[in-house]
Amino acid sequence: MIAVRSTALLAVGLLAALSMPVATAGESLLERDVLPILTKNCMGCHGGLKREAGLDLRTMPGMLKGGDSGPAIVKGQAERSELWKQIASDAMPSGDDREKLSASDKAKIKTWIDAGMPTVLERQKDVDTLLPGLQRHKPQQVAAVVDKHLGGFLQTAGLKPVALSSDAAFLRRVTLDLCGRVPTAGEAAKFLDDKDPDRRAKLIDALLARPDFGKQFGRTWRDWICPPELPSNGNAGTQPYGQARAFGDWIGKKLTEGASWAQITREILTVKGAIGKSPQVIFYALVGQGGTTSADGTARAVASLFLGVQLKCARCHDDPYRDWSQREHWGLAAFFGRTQGDFTKIETGKGASKKPGEIAIPGSAFRNSGQTVKAAFLRGGEFKVKETDDLRPPFAEWLTAKDNPFFARALVNRAWFYLFARGIVNPIDDFRDLNPPSHPGLLKMLADEFVVADFDVKHLFRCLCNSQAYQRTSRFAPDADPQLRSALTTSFGRMPMRLMSADVLLDSLKRAHGDEKLDLRTGIKASTVGMAAPVGDIWLEFQRRFGTNEEDATDFTHGVAQMLTMINHPRLQARSKALDAFQKKTPDAGVERTVEWLYLSTLSRRPSPEETSEAREFIEGSKDLNKAYDGVLWMLVNRSEFLLIR
Amino acid sequence: MQRPHLKLKRRDLLKLSAAGLVSGVSVPWFELLAGTAVGKPPKKSCILLWMDGGPSQQHTFDPKPKGEFSPKPTSVPGIHIVEHLPQLAALMEDLVLVRSMTTEINGHYDAKYFLHTGYKRTTAFEHPSIGCIASSQVSGAGDEMPAFVTIDAGYDRNDGGRLYRNVPGYLGPHNAPLLVNDPNEGLENLAPTGSDVEARLKLLARSENRFARQFATPVVSAKQAAFDRAVRLMTSRRSRAFDVDEEPASLRQAYGKHKFGRSCLLARRLIEAGVSFVEVVHRGWDDHAGAAKPIAYRSPWMDAGMATLISDLKVRGMLDDTLVIWMGEFGRTPGDGNGHFSKAWSTMWAGGGLKTGQVIGKTSEGKNPGAEIAERPVSSPDFIATLCLALGMDIQTEFKAPGNRPVLMVDKVAKPITEMLG
Repeated sequence: MIAVRSTALLAVGLLAALSMPVATAGESLLERDVLPILTKNCMGCHGGLKREAGLDLRTMPGMLKGGDSGPAIVKGQAERSELWKQIASDAMPSGDDREKLSASDKAKIKTWIDAGMPTVLERQKDVDTLLPGLQRHKPQQVAAVVDKHLGGFLQTAGLKPVALSSDAAFLRRVTLDLCGRVPTAGEAAKFLDDKDPDRRAKLIDALLARPDFGKQFGRTWRDWICPPELPSNGNAGTQPYGQARAFGDWIGKKLTEGASWAQITREILTVKGAIGKSPQVIFYALVGQGGTTSADGTARAVASLFLGVQLKCARCHDDPYRDWSQREHWGLAAFFGRTQGDFTKIETGKGASKKPGEIAIPGSAFRNSGQTVKAAFLRGGEFKVKETDDLRPPFAEWLTAKDNPFFARALVNRAWFYLFARGIVNPIDDFRDLNPPSHPGLLKMLADEFVVADFDVKHLFRCLCNSQAYQRTSRFAPDADPQLRSALTTSFGRMPMRLMSADVLLDSLKRAHGDEKLDLRTGIKASTVGMAAPVGDIWLEFQRRFGTNEEDATDFTHGVAQMLTMINHPRLQARSKALDAFQKKTPDAGVERTVEWLYLSTLSRRPSPEETSEAREFIEGSKDLNKAYDGVLWMLVNRSEFLLIR
Repeated sequence: MQRPHLKLKRRDLLKLSAAGLVSGVSVPWFELLAGTAVGKPPKKSCILLWMDGGPSQQHTFDPKPKGEFSPKPTSVPGIHIVEHLPQLAALMEDLVLVRSMTTEINGHYDAKYFLHTGYKRTTAFEHPSIGCIASSQVSGAGDEMPAFVTIDAGYDRNDGGRLYRNVPGYLGPHNAPLLVNDPNEGLENLAPTGSDVEARLKLLARSENRFARQFATPVVSAKQAAFDRAVRLMTSRRSRAFDVDEEPASLRQAYGKHKFGRSCLLARRLIEAGVSFVEVVHRGWDDHAGAAKPIAYRSPWMDAGMATLISDLKVRGMLDDTLVIWMGEFGRTPGDGNGHFSKAWSTMWAGGGLKTGQVIGKTSEGKNPGAEIAERPVSSPDFIATLCLALGMDIQTEFKAPGNRPVLMVDKVAKPITEMLG
């Protein structure tokens, strides 16, 4: 039996349920069953924000310690636990306007206390990584261990993974994921005709060797770094889109030149000077406030992006739900307190900190304004300030050290999320004890491998893409159980279908139409004039229109406006330059070969006999052969199969 | 103007849908919906007329005796507005003037954000705008008409910084507005291009059906549903709402030829077709070289567009259910209106069942008239709260921002202007 629970807060629910399905049916586990109830109903008052009656329920020790009236929970004895008595009698949640707990929620809490407060965490204590993290392994070896981890999980859950995808589906998926645009017709035909048993591994190598991989990785990071709307400077509100794009390109270029993720991270965090020479200067202003740098904005971004933890609530007060304190937030911010800059430059030796290594909590925080906090590595104790004014280099050194507990797993989890539309920890930047990974051994193995491989991003992607898990099909029959489908997807026994990001869709449309300047804006010139112009440049306008849900690539976010653009935009019905070139090169191609070429250059596969005959019928019903080919191309780019990564 | 979709006759529409040309999913209720008159939305609707850049209050709705524009009596004794807006003056019994807006922020973009959301900007997340909030409060799932449309009414010379884009934030992308970039052109890409649209849709539908059978996943059905909504809108009678040329010539003339008047007319048609919130943006009110000349120039089309909108809504019995608001992100410095001025400025309200024919608040007289609020200050949260209540929304609704952070629809510091709510 698979119990599907929906909790907005913790994605762990379903996965934890899956990992122990039979043995734990009817059992209550802290992270899966109890924490969502406590978070929703109790922690608002008994958490980091307010510790009413001295009670803080955010951690296990906190629950056991209890508050002013003694321990909140007595392990194994609900009837003697103050927490249970308060909840059972509806005294809590207090107040007439508060909803009381439902009978089933109460039962979960009672069962959990009576069972001795079992947690997912303790069951994950002794994980076996199945691969010693001592030296770099061959990608195929790592990939096999990835599958072993997932296989064990699936087996425990009583799930059978789906078959591998077809060569065509694999080709399209891996090319879009690694190089960010559909393969050309030529590339597709070459791969589909390759009989080499190692053709998939060879393709992965070839794609990773292209600068396109760096470009795609760089712009993915750009999107992760940039907030939904870029900050703006001053009164007019100019947004640094150009600078943000150059920054993404820079990350890509560094990677292509062979830089490790540790090196790229260090170069971002320790940048100074003018933006002209160092596009990464824009990082600080992108994560800052109002077009300028801010120490606390940097701390939150560094935490989310490079450490994999969420410190956003802890700016103003201790996190109400997670075990992060305001001091930890500002301790991290203190490293960035002697840096100042804007969209054009970064200078050191001035900033929010009066003295290097310490920072005052500003008046805009709800709690502890004016208190001074000393620089401290996250969960790593106070930092001894050396003679230097710029504390960013020692911070970057700590962050990218091989024994840093956060850095490698944060990137590994993001890479996994990028390829599978779901992290091993979810949300991807919410690593903490009470939000455990679905596959702890897998996460540790990959993080270890990433470290011994000197933070080599290409090695990591090579390992992941060579796994069977990555190469599974996304097909699913309509009569199959949707619960089974989501169980398989969340346990990585099946590849979910994802929506192309705006960048990937635009580049793929450009390829299909053979037009690198493909412009899907309307012809209203007046709307592009002036600072308050409602219509931006080609790229920006496409981003605005076809932007997707960064947190969930399986979410189809496009609506009527996007579909109307695809259906009726004149440019998508005008002549394709790529098709023109094909016809010029092969004047006697004929209907069948032309249709095949159109399929290859859009869907990366050859048409089925049924599809060929439908296209032929359509073409024969048309008066103008060229218009008919345009119609077939229109049909192809409007298909779900084109917009989605299957 | 070329509008091929409107040339599709009704029997062609029937043919289109009977042939199952809308991909994949069958839509038996589509013709039913298209064939019947559209019911009123469950809550009140709103037309927000946004004068981007910050219009001068003393050159519009809060003139001072020694100011550049002289105050003229209106149809309500004791209430005066500038002489340049005679048609609106005649409708004063349907208007409420709020003359005591005081909103702290003097920078364009942050002020636009503050007045659209009721919250100041933070780096943590984007607050949804009032139009997105209104959209989230009406159920429009499966409906081809969007709940929220913005119309660009063009621009004068005085741009007021970056345009505020209505961001739905944590309310989700389905609450983002549909954009009309030119009221004369209607919704972009709505009209089918090419004569073979039927054949192409048919060709597509076959492969889409097959694909849905092989890849039965939510993302595929979501794509096909969105696609079908778009095709339905293309072929639906309701899409005619986007075509202002269907209105009688005399009415079009009354609204005026200017894009602003055309936008007001389009807004009315969209509200009639079931849209809940329309924002009309006219850019170019950042009059740093003095407000008198440019506003004298803009007044005729503004007066005609707004006054015709209000009387048109009234004639159709829609005014009580449709709130109309005229405003910018702030006002301008007293006197010549050269600078930005968030301390004491005006908004104009009409319809929506408000207690109209009155003025809320007062600015100071004396040596520097209009420099201060004399009575009843209205902050940005107060303003948004009043707007939400007038539309029938529960302002204590709690949304969840990223990180499970609770955010109220309206900041709890808000004190709505109860004296104007009906």
